[in-house]
Amino acid sequence: MSGLHGLMDGRVVLVTGAGAGVGRGVSAAFGAAGAIVGIGVRRPEAAEETAAAVAAAGGTPVILRCDVTDADQSAAAIAQLVAEHGRLDAVVHNAVSGRSSEATDFENTTLDEWEDHSSVTVRATWRLAVQAYPHLQTSQGAYLLMSSPAGIEGSERAPFYSAVKAAQRGFVRALAREWGPDHIRVNSVAPLAISPALENMKILEPERVKRIEGLVPLGRLGDPETDIGPPSVFLCSDEARYVTGQTLVVSGGRFTSL
Amino acid sequence: MATASRLLVITTGSGIGASIATRLGLRGDLVLQPDPGLDLTDAIAVEESFRSLVGSVPVDQVVLAAIDPSAFRAAPITSLSEDEWDQAAESSMRAAFVVLQQVHTVIADGGRVVLILPTVVTTGVADLVPLCTAVEAIRVMAKAVARRWGARSITVNTIEVELAAFMLGDEIGGGAVAIEVPVVPVLGQPALPSGSAVDDVLGLVDLLATPAAAAITGALLVADRGTVMQP
Repeated sequence: MSGLHGLMDGRVVLVTGAGAGVGRGVSAAFGAAGAIVGIGVRRPEAAEETAAAVAAAGGTPVILRCDVTDADQSAAAIAQLVAEHGRLDAVVHNAVSGRSSEATDFENTTLDEWEDHSSVTVRATWRLAVQAYPHLQTSQGAYLLMSSPAGIEGSERAPFYSAVKAAQRGFVRALAREWGPDHIRVNSVAPLAISPALENMKILEPERVKRIEGLVPLGRLGDPETDIGPPSVFLCSDEARYVTGQTLVVSGGRFTSL
Repeated sequence: MATASRLLVITTGSGIGASIATRLGLRGDLVLQPDPGLDLTDAIAVEESFRSLVGSVPVDQVVLAAIDPSAFRAAPITSLSEDEWDQAAESSMRAAFVVLQQVHTVIADGGRVVLILPTVVTTGVADLVPLCTAVEAIRVMAKAVARRWGARSITVNTIEVELAAFMLGDEIGGGAVAIEVPVVPVLGQPALPSGSAVDDVLGLVDLLATPAAAAITGALLVADRGTVMQP
């Protein structure tokens, strides 16, 4: 990821859901870009691998307890980063419900399951924005949401996950207009990437993974660090200073008309 | 134009949904309507209401136009309390889920579901972040449901109209209306001459009920007379 070198030197970024998968990969990419990376996780003891990846890439890791459904925790995480490093340049909200990879029985489930998804992906998207706003206003920074192609095309298997990821895209488009005068940019990335759930599927259902990969023109699923990380860093960097209100689909060509 | 014989129309009691229900009734369709005061986020209440209205004969068509009115109040997100955010953004999503879930139990195989939403997400609107968030979530929830219910030949489509038309329906242009409509940032005027958005939507609702539309599902039809034209 040599192309990222220096892109975020001295910049301070908070990544939520950074303990594994895309969150870990994106954190490492910010590290490669020279950032101080706040690794937001529910259980700090589960963040060691991410911290090591950020450090190995050349960044400065800061492990933060940050269950995004807990307003006090996310406020404290932001406050700690700003207190220790003097600024906040970007927030990357990547955390999702622990049930996000489960199938949803839409016709028979209850609002409790909806709440599991919405509290992490919708409410926390709003709350993190409000909490980060004064700092992003000062730094003329960026807010990046990790959405999903499911939030564009709608998934039969995951109607709740689809809806809350779509909610983030609507949020991005509106907030980009609202915060444009403050020079805060708001974007999202819709990645198709190897996740812990897909890693598990590779073991349990290798043929299914092969079928999915066969739909990708580039022939493989994205790597969180080397495929999803660089576009995410780009959108938070000065190189994307004129980009706001957009969803960048990073899917190896799997989705070409979204 | 062939139309459905029995329709279930769910609205908040005002705006384009209410106007559509009135027009359908006036022309002789059998329109079943829950009490506009029904809490659409209360799954038990919605289930009981639908069962009571529909009885044992499934409906052919469902029209859903129900956004919580608080979503139309223009305000920066930083000014909202958590409760205000929840009411303005998340309550309409919950309502969409609860209503669609119960629709599944009262609609006939081959039935048609039409959601009506305002065209705010294509452009995005400052100070209406909760509304834009809810609308995009509901749009994609409808797509996911369209995929799930296709095996029963049920179609699920979305019609979008301009925000003012969505909020006011047949009351648009009426001097007595005291509702403040937020400004949506569009460049230029509609390509087509102005007309009744209620007529426009009603025409599409009818169209989607015909056999000719049996293959259309998960689609978004924008009835804004050529204002936005994006993407």
